[in-house]
Amino acid sequence: MAALIPDDLAELFEGGVSILVGTRDAGLVAEATRGVGAVVHPDRRRLTVFLPVSVSDRAIANLGDNGSLAVGFSSMLDHRTLQVKGKVEAIRDATEAEREIVSRYHAAFGEVLFIVGIPRVISRALNVWPCHAVTFEATDIFLQTPGPNAGERISA
Amino acid sequence: MIATCDADGVPNITYLSQIFLLEDDRVALSCQFFNKTKKNVLVNPVATTQIYDPLTFDAYRVVIKYSHEEREGKLFEGMSRRIDAIATHSGMAGVFRLLSADVYDVVSVENVAGFKRPGDLPSVPQQPSAVQYRSEMSGLQHVSQRISRARDLEELYACTVEALEEGLGFENSMILLPDETGSRLYAIAGRGYGESGVGAEVGLGEGLIGTVARERCILRVAGVGAELRYGRAIRTSVQRATGLRGLRPEIPLPGLVDAQSQMALPLVANDRLVGVIAVESKKTAAFQEWHEAFLDIIANQIASAIENMTLREKDEKDEEPAVPLPPRSEPAPPSKCEAPALKLRFFKSDDCVFAADEYLVRNVPGRILWKILRELTARGRTEFTNREFRLDPALGLPAIRDNLESRLVLLRKRLEQKCPQIALVPTARGRFRVDVTAPLELEESA
Repeated sequence: MAALIPDDLAELFEGGVSILVGTRDAGLVAEATRGVGAVVHPDRRRLTVFLPVSVSDRAIANLGDNGSLAVGFSSMLDHRTLQVKGKVEAIRDATEAEREIVSRYHAAFGEVLFIVGIPRVISRALNVWPCHAVTFEATDIFLQTPGPNAGERISA
Repeated sequence: MIATCDADGVPNITYLSQIFLLEDDRVALSCQFFNKTKKNVLVNPVATTQIYDPLTFDAYRVVIKYSHEEREGKLFEGMSRRIDAIATHSGMAGVFRLLSADVYDVVSVENVAGFKRPGDLPSVPQQPSAVQYRSEMSGLQHVSQRISRARDLEELYACTVEALEEGLGFENSMILLPDETGSRLYAIAGRGYGESGVGAEVGLGEGLIGTVARERCILRVAGVGAELRYGRAIRTSVQRATGLRGLRPEIPLPGLVDAQSQMALPLVANDRLVGVIAVESKKTAAFQEWHEAFLDIIANQIASAIENMTLREKDEKDEEPAVPLPPRSEPAPPSKCEAPALKLRFFKSDDCVFAADEYLVRNVPGRILWKILRELTARGRTEFTNREFRLDPALGLPAIRDNLESRLVLLRKRLEQKCPQIALVPTARGRFRVDVTAPLELEESA
């Protein structure tokens, strides 16, 4: 059954957080890719995460093979982190309209990086476009903030 | 970040907190909590990490294969000390600790091409070249020469922190000594901290400096801000999970409040801790391995110098006057200055002296100051000898290695910073004079 994403988490997922995408190949070798934006669908059960074309060949191939992914959303300011697991539904090129979403994310993430000591000139150099848009249904959400409760499933 | 996969094909992705290079083909990851990553690699050992250069944010994809874990031994202890140092700052000592050092073989390393757009980016300082090493060796030589020319402890402390900036560019540094109980360290000299340097205290085992003192190890942290945020995240998690209100308080950084890089080394002579030297910077990853090696050389020289000068103090006891100098035949004339009276309070419970309601000094330096002030106001004495303090049982100086000279240095500096109306002026070896430029009101409290 799909997990329901509450309001506060939707806000976190769509903010300037660090987005980490985990996939795996047919041999169960995992791959780590950085995402550059996310959108929570109105049904609060599906998300679309954006992966830069320049760095996501392996991730896209993995998703094509088995569809399993894990997406971590982590605030670099206080390490509040959640991990969403699910199965991919669709992979397509991100649209020009979605480019605005990615740009907003890039700016917001850049400000967070600046606060933690990464100069803006560095964060501006991150390659964020063009992107693949990966839509998936969330099946589980886990708390992953560092601490003794990391790994706890958030009930739907 | 680290990506793993379980036996059923479900991937997992999370942040890596610590990764250490062991050899060219081996790394160690810290395991603070038994989590999904650890569970996954125990059944499916290959993991993929992505790590970033802290200065350029260049990304590297490093594929690793789990080998084994270590829960004791040199590697475990070394990683554990770093985590303990950060944990104490967050009040998480004992809660946030290393469970195991997980060793992985490196399978492959590649730069993540396409992670950044090519273009004009600020240049990043490279590892020192041979030419730069010659320049840095000159800097080391400069520091070493300044230290060797110090004639007494006060000069040794002062010229060390000055020379560290002049010769090696360490803008913020401090030297700390253990107090008479051995449970706390106090800063005897500092550079780049203004008035807040001298007298700053750190508990043994607290933070980076306290951990270095307790473990007698070298510690270097490249991203202090990130480490503290991690520690605070755990603190918040623990509070939410347990509802505990009695967690230990967070300990502020003793030097720069926004330090990003810290490095501290123990000063050890004759297998005894004589102090700690600490440097820090607001820049991330400011200190490299070669800085550690250079500072280690300096630390050994400083430790030997402190030990030798302290032992020389002991040998010179016989040269000091055997009895205190007699008071004046009549009381000193009242000060003719129009400065307002300075109120000083001595709290017997913890030997604390406050000047104008502001903390000044405590413990042995506090007891020394109060003795001086009472002699001054009651009997008009302005001349004192080190020996009389050594012989006074009320001051509680240890019989061996009393470090009296260092305590007087601390007292002198604290007075300069916080209470300039009172000055201790050295007049000869083992002797000093008290100059006062305001009327004094003394009060003792329980």
